[in-house]
Amino acid sequence: MARATPSNTWTKPAGRPIAGKPIPRPTRSADVQAYIPEMVKGLGITMKHFFKNTKEMVLGQKPDPVLNALEPGVTTISYPEEKRPYPERFRGIHRLTLREDNSPRCVACLCCSTACPAQCIAIEPAEYPDGDRRKGYERYPSSFVIDELRCVFCGFCVEACPVDAIRMDTGLHAVPYDSREQFIYRRDLLMSLSDRSGSRLTANTRHEPGDPTHPGLSRDHADH
Amino acid sequence: MTSVELALAIVKILIVVLFLLNMAAIATWADRRQGAMVQDRVGPNRAVVYLPSLVVRGIVFFPPALLAALSVFTATRPASAPAAAETMVAAAQFAVAVAWLGLIVFCASARSGGPINPAEEALARVEPRSIFYGGVMAHVAVFFLTQAIPLSAAPVVARIACVLLGALLLVTGAYAALRVPEGKIPLRLLGTLHAAADAIKMIWKEDFIPKNADRLLHSLAPLLAMFPALVTFAVIPFGDKLCFEDNGDGVFGFGDLPLLKRTVDQAFTCSGHVVNLQVADLNVGILYIFAMAGTGIIGAALAGWASDNKFSLLGGLRAASQMVSYEVAMGLSVVGLFIIYGSVRLGDMVQWQAEHAWGIFVQPLAFILFLAALAAETKRIPFDQPEGESEIVAGYFVEYSGMKFGMFMTGEYVELITSSALLVTLFFGGYHLPFLDRDGINVAFGDATLFQYKMTHFAVSLTYVLAFFGKTILMAWVQVFFRWTLPRFRYDQVMRLGWTKLLPLTIVNMMVTGIVVLAVDSAPAGLVGGLQVAADVTHAIVAVGGFAAVVALIAGLLEPVERQRTVNSTSSRFAAAAGGTKASPQQA
Repeated sequence: MARATPSNTWTKPAGRPIAGKPIPRPTRSADVQAYIPEMVKGLGITMKHFFKNTKEMVLGQKPDPVLNALEPGVTTISYPEEKRPYPERFRGIHRLTLREDNSPRCVACLCCSTACPAQCIAIEPAEYPDGDRRKGYERYPSSFVIDELRCVFCGFCVEACPVDAIRMDTGLHAVPYDSREQFIYRRDLLMSLSDRSGSRLTANTRHEPGDPTHPGLSRDHADH
Repeated sequence: MTSVELALAIVKILIVVLFLLNMAAIATWADRRQGAMVQDRVGPNRAVVYLPSLVVRGIVFFPPALLAALSVFTATRPASAPAAAETMVAAAQFAVAVAWLGLIVFCASARSGGPINPAEEALARVEPRSIFYGGVMAHVAVFFLTQAIPLSAAPVVARIACVLLGALLLVTGAYAALRVPEGKIPLRLLGTLHAAADAIKMIWKEDFIPKNADRLLHSLAPLLAMFPALVTFAVIPFGDKLCFEDNGDGVFGFGDLPLLKRTVDQAFTCSGHVVNLQVADLNVGILYIFAMAGTGIIGAALAGWASDNKFSLLGGLRAASQMVSYEVAMGLSVVGLFIIYGSVRLGDMVQWQAEHAWGIFVQPLAFILFLAALAAETKRIPFDQPEGESEIVAGYFVEYSGMKFGMFMTGEYVELITSSALLVTLFFGGYHLPFLDRDGINVAFGDATLFQYKMTHFAVSLTYVLAFFGKTILMAWVQVFFRWTLPRFRYDQVMRLGWTKLLPLTIVNMMVTGIVVLAVDSAPAGLVGGLQVAADVTHAIVAVGGFAAVVALIAGLLEPVERQRTVNSTSSRFAAAAGGTKASPQQA
């Protein structure tokens, strides 16, 4: 006498039928099954949209796509021709702020490259030449490189910077280029970028070392 | 075949081929444009030519000036009374059309660009729809006015109407040219330049052949795919027969060509020479179309096989099996029409529809079946499994690039146009327009004639040709709408639909049609007369419905858009405060 094969406990618990959650299927009514009435309905909908949009184009009454996109329903923004305005605090491509004499504010302290979680910033510090009033007091970056492909736009570098030398207020977004090499932003390029008002100086004036308003020690008080 | 017949055949072939190739290019653009308009995108418009405003003024002014010159030239020529009467009607109607169209355009430009003089200020205050309704009423009024003018006065009034039309065209063109702004004018032509740029790009693109592909067959396949699409149009009549009188020598020569018969009667009794507006009037008629369309499989199957790519092979196999399957349903679905029309010649079919009712009214089921089978034959959505870009990338032309790919695309769009022409010929009366007979407009129900208006042979023939091409374009437009509406079927669904739904339905349709035709043939004369009245009623429905649709379309397009917007979210309030975005300059 053949024995009943034991049920596979991996696929089916022994003795119990599989308890599935019943899912209601959409009813397939006769007109849906017949396809033609539904097709005509669909054609009506596309034609409605076609004539509405054509009319708006002909009459030049195209509504604002941004406001439209926030309404219920699907609206597309035709990107290169139409752009959403970026918010005021949008974090875009970095820039290096300048001093009044067009030298970089950066003192090459490496705070930003240390804070960077993506490790996309590489700085080579250098000393000012002999005779410079900043010589021995602070350094400058002889090379400042940001790999914009690695950057995650977290803004930690801006937070970390003690002298407000790096900012992300250019309002530019990452641009598609042909090669990876073009995504490597170097010092001069970063220094040439400006904020949205066109200024290349810092947007957040602080006390410069050497200012009369500087609360700390002046250069003359330094013992080195 | 005399030399004049040869010349006429070449002219007819040129007309057909030029129409097909031009329409294929335009359909490529229209397909994209239609999708953009359905989905509210900008669509193809990146190609632009900047022209100095002087050139644009010339472009705006030249066509109206040319037409005006033509109109004035017509006025100076002597004409017999009946011809002058027709010229008078045509010129008066064109003048009305130019007047309201020009007024609407100037009204729109004054509203959008700001009025530049007091007349435009007044015009901008007028509702464009009332201009249009006024225009329609003027059309009707002018028609009855021209009917009231006696035949003896017709030549003088015709000259006045022609000069008036010329002056109107000249003034409209000149004013439109004046309104062109200074500076460089971007010319985008609604994106048609984009399609042209694409074509140029395709010619210069690298023509890639895979390493292990069959080089000969790979190059041959696009030709084989395009050829049947072009030649099927040969047997489709694009106008009624023309009757030329003989200049006395009894032979059809070039001297007979100017002697187009003035008028013909309804039965088309022609003692001279008859010219069919059809490349080839074959006695096998539509069977030729089926035979040629059947060879379209070879191109797709060869392309799939010769590309040395598994996706291509799958696509080619899909194309072959789908087209073979649907050929059966396609052939059988129109057998009912053959029974009713009593002929397989397409010219005879159109003539039957002109005398009785259009095919869509006598065989509505066959229309749906034939439309489905035709969509599957032309491999268009929802039957585009051979391409199936979501499953097999691009199917049988995945390994094609450059102009070879372009030839596949052109072939596909030529097939679209040809299939539209075939649908129009079989189901929408071909070149026929409701109540427009060979001798003019006869509004008649059964034996009761309500309205009669005589027209010349030339005018009727020209209207017929324009009607055929217009209907074909309209049908292609509707077929493109299927693409933007329907999702693709699954492949097993396609096969099941073809063999288990369409095929039995075509056979049922065929048998029922046969029984009904037998019953009608043996019916009493009263019933046959009643059927004729019913057929005339369908013509009336088409005529009134078509007129109402055109009026409703234009009025709807002129109706201003009303919107109510509530701004809810923070970001939308921010965007609104920032002034939203600027619509692109292309969207004017």
